[in-house]
Amino acid sequence: MRRLGPPPTAKLIAFAILAFFLLWWVPFSHVLPDGFPLRFGTYRTFQASMIAMWAIVALGLNILTGYNGQISLGHSAFVAIGGYTAAILMVDYGWPFWSTIILGGAIAGTVGFLIGIPALRLTGPYLAIATLGLALATPQILKKYDGLTHGTQGINVRPEVPAAPGFIEDWFGISLSNDVWIYFLALFIALIMTILAINIVRSRIGRAFVAIRDSEIAAQAMGISVPRYKTMAFAISAFYAGIAGGTYAQLVGYVSPESFNFLLSINFLTTIVVGGLASILGSILGATGLILVPELPGFVGFIPGAGLPAELSWAFYGGALILVMIFAPYGLAGLFHRLVRLSRAYGRRLEALVVRSPSSGQTGAGPADRFPQNHPDAER
Amino acid sequence: MDEFLQQVVTGLATGSVYGLLALAIVLIYRTTNVLNFAQGEMAMFTTFVAWTVLQRGEYWLMFPLVLLMAAAMGGFIELVIIRRVEGAPVLNIIIVTLGLFAILNNVATWRWGGIPKGFPAPPEIQVTGVKFFGEGALDIGPTVVSYHDLTILVFAVAIMAALYLFFQYTPLGLAMRATAQNPIASRLMGIRVGRMLAVGWALSATVGAVAGLLIAPLILLQPPMMMGVLLYAFAAAVLGGLDSPVGAIVGGLIIGVSENLVGTYTPKEWLGPDMKLTVTLLIIVVVLLIRPTGIFGRRALRRV
Repeated sequence: MRRLGPPPTAKLIAFAILAFFLLWWVPFSHVLPDGFPLRFGTYRTFQASMIAMWAIVALGLNILTGYNGQISLGHSAFVAIGGYTAAILMVDYGWPFWSTIILGGAIAGTVGFLIGIPALRLTGPYLAIATLGLALATPQILKKYDGLTHGTQGINVRPEVPAAPGFIEDWFGISLSNDVWIYFLALFIALIMTILAINIVRSRIGRAFVAIRDSEIAAQAMGISVPRYKTMAFAISAFYAGIAGGTYAQLVGYVSPESFNFLLSINFLTTIVVGGLASILGSILGATGLILVPELPGFVGFIPGAGLPAELSWAFYGGALILVMIFAPYGLAGLFHRLVRLSRAYGRRLEALVVRSPSSGQTGAGPADRFPQNHPDAER
Repeated sequence: MDEFLQQVVTGLATGSVYGLLALAIVLIYRTTNVLNFAQGEMAMFTTFVAWTVLQRGEYWLMFPLVLLMAAAMGGFIELVIIRRVEGAPVLNIIIVTLGLFAILNNVATWRWGGIPKGFPAPPEIQVTGVKFFGEGALDIGPTVVSYHDLTILVFAVAIMAALYLFFQYTPLGLAMRATAQNPIASRLMGIRVGRMLAVGWALSATVGAVAGLLIAPLILLQPPMMMGVLLYAFAAAVLGGLDSPVGAIVGGLIIGVSENLVGTYTPKEWLGPDMKLTVTLLIIVVVLLIRPTGIFGRRALRRV
């Protein structure tokens, strides 16, 4: 059977490299001297935390859109539910932060399930616009019912956000500043959610999602309950967004109606398409790309002669989106897989050269050709 | 009763602008199955060009000029950018239009600045003693209609009629309808499908440009001006049915009117004007639940 995507080892190495950078670059960079280009200040650390938070949303949205084929432009609403649940419970009721994140995810998941029921009747662009309506209505609802949400002024969560617990200093002998601690927190949550996502998409549930995306009728014929799994996809996806919202409240320290406008939803969709639909790695790459690409023009500006007028950074971003879609239609993950394939093909060619070169004493009809199951290609 | 009529009439006027932009969206959706998120920004861009032309030109001279330019821009975008992603998954093309959105919006801000500018309504024309366009309001019994609102309504109806005639009675219109229905069969019948798609984009950009020119006097000319209109236009297009031009206009009118009525007649404490967008969207969702492909949309047939 032909397996899709690169082999597990390549994927593992990619994850390891990514994880290494995400995990260690932030604290490591604090050792670097001031002004060193790759030294993460508070802002870069914050950005790294944002990437983790976006990756959580992207994983959830990818389960819904990439794996299950339902387009949602309403995920900012679910993030808002998670963020506001965390903020209200922490500030007004004094709950511990971790419980509010979990509860926010659960509430968002429930709302997602409820939205998923009417969504069963809608497909494609109709569903996209209907959910966009949800995203549009969210800031208005948050402003209007200010008894609960504190209205337009938003909620300042900063004083309630916990500092690094004492045991870290006891065990490791380093004292983490607040932003680095929050970063590790966000990273930890993102890691758990990534493992969860990998397990979901590889399970019976994930295969049902994909079957429904590819053909609802065929899936039904195979005994898959389409409404059950479609609403489940919505619930899981909204749960992810809710968890991300709770994380957002911790790392930004402030929620307001305008933090969750519809543009956020559109950016989430962009994240997963640019990263790669139906791909865990793609969700993470997309989140990284979308947070960092708007920064690039400023970066390019450092190189003499390549400077772009700073006012055109959005045009640069738009151009980058178009170029990615033209040259990497399967997103950054697709690009990565292609590179892996290319490198493997190159490796095989090298191998063939070595095997068939006269100096090695063989003429090409090696055991690999006689026993196809031992051939490096046989596994594919 | 008078207030009610007044709300309905102004709702019809803003609704026809939503409808016009929705029509532009439908024109592209019908042929390429793409929701064009850059539609509003294209209209904003052409309106800024119109403003530049107006600095030294006559309004009725500018009007055809800008429409031509809009058509050229639409065709250019299709040929140079959209053509590159033809056949790609729909979501990819949507992301491309989002990229266009960012580019057009940013370039307009960079070129013309973010400060809102006044934009003139079409100036008065006297035809055999009857006044068209211009300032003031027309008294029609129980209520008054401003001339500009009337202009918008007339333009919407006229464009609708012109498009109907174009699609039904010209060879080009027929070829475009054929392309929308079945691109492969059309190509086999000798229709230049690629060219039809470019014409579709040009046509759509032109209709959008008219919407921009008509709404600008009401909401001031500035780079983000079409964002809200675009969202209403999407809602209108979906409400009417994404493949129905008539549905787009009707959807726009329904949204314009219901938005005004919800803002005026619902209890202020927990709904009222602040929530008119929310309630309008809720109405649309309810309609969609009853008719999942919009009021005039063709039901999607599934082949097993």
